[in-house]
Amino acid sequence: MNKTVAIQQIILATTDQPIIFTTGYSCRIAAHLCHRPNHFYMTGSMGLATSIGTGVALATGLPTVVVDGDGSLMMNPTSLIVVGAIPNLPLLHVVLDDGVYASTGSQEVSSKQVNLTRLAHVSGYSQVFHVGNVDAFAVQLHGALANCFSPIFIHCTLSAENTAVPPRIDLNLAQHQRQFSQYLRTVTGFNGQKSQL
Amino acid sequence: MKASYTTVSANHLNLASTLAQALTEKGFGPFFSTPCGILAPLYSALESNIGVHTIPREDNAIGIAAGTAMANQRPVVLMQNSGLGQSVNTIASLVVPYEIPILLIVSLRGIAPDRTSENAAMGRLTEPLLSSFSIQSVQLETTQLAAQVNWAQQIVYEQRQSAAFLVPPSMFGWQT
Repeated sequence: MNKTVAIQQIILATTDQPIIFTTGYSCRIAAHLCHRPNHFYMTGSMGLATSIGTGVALATGLPTVVVDGDGSLMMNPTSLIVVGAIPNLPLLHVVLDDGVYASTGSQEVSSKQVNLTRLAHVSGYSQVFHVGNVDAFAVQLHGALANCFSPIFIHCTLSAENTAVPPRIDLNLAQHQRQFSQYLRTVTGFNGQKSQL
Repeated sequence: MKASYTTVSANHLNLASTLAQALTEKGFGPFFSTPCGILAPLYSALESNIGVHTIPREDNAIGIAAGTAMANQRPVVLMQNSGLGQSVNTIASLVVPYEIPILLIVSLRGIAPDRTSENAAMGRLTEPLLSSFSIQSVQLETTQLAAQVNWAQQIVYEQRQSAAFLVPPSMFGWQT
């Protein structure tokens, strides 16, 4: 399963859940496969997709999906500790692990010695899973989305990308943000009144 | 160097309560903070008023605040200006280009009476840095709090832009 196949599975498994895609190829692949109003493409601020997803989940109470990478997670492992400290946060944190910084020339990520599911578990995630093939990934995604009442972590080992990666996101970022915000206003009924804060 | 709070007077605490109340009455919240000694009395006042989420890094606090802002809340991030340094790329690549409205409350370490050399550079850089991001900022004044909160409300709610309050060390009684 390469990154394109994995993102395809995430899109298939989700309906109206807000999804935050991390910078680099994840954003580009998702936007190219299927642009939906519940997608937020984080084109910069590497490492912060999980933080943004945390804010969305806190404010809306909606199951919120974060599509992260191994390089992004290594840049900001603090995000795991923040999520783990909020036991009732409805966050599904998916890490697509290809072992490299794919969009900058495939330099190796220095996290081979780290068991990412254990790291999430000791940080406080309620459930952690590791998957290495597309069927197992689909099963865990559906299960997690059906019962997303606390932080869930899925570590997904990928094979190298063997398809051409689509071009950079060509959106007006401010407009994209306002459309995503409008989408959240619509699905929550108003302005974050379901807040757990 | 640690601040001693034995010198924080009732006036300073009242001022912190006044600001906390003005912010919450105007609908600001949730509040996220990486703690700072200068802001400690405000942090306490907010905690007893509406609650504060303590976040271990300032850039993470801004990221979470951005999520709540997109979910139509009115988040505030409290931080020391050293944390503003930590957050430069988050502001540059997330807050500014996506035009996410957040109120920042940034303390001014490195400004008199703080003479610690490790804070001097950020003390000098704080206002120019925000200004370079086109984020409007104002230094809080004890006699102008209500008007300054109105100003922030105008920029963050009406104009949907980020804004910053700068808090000098003496504001809530901080001493070296």
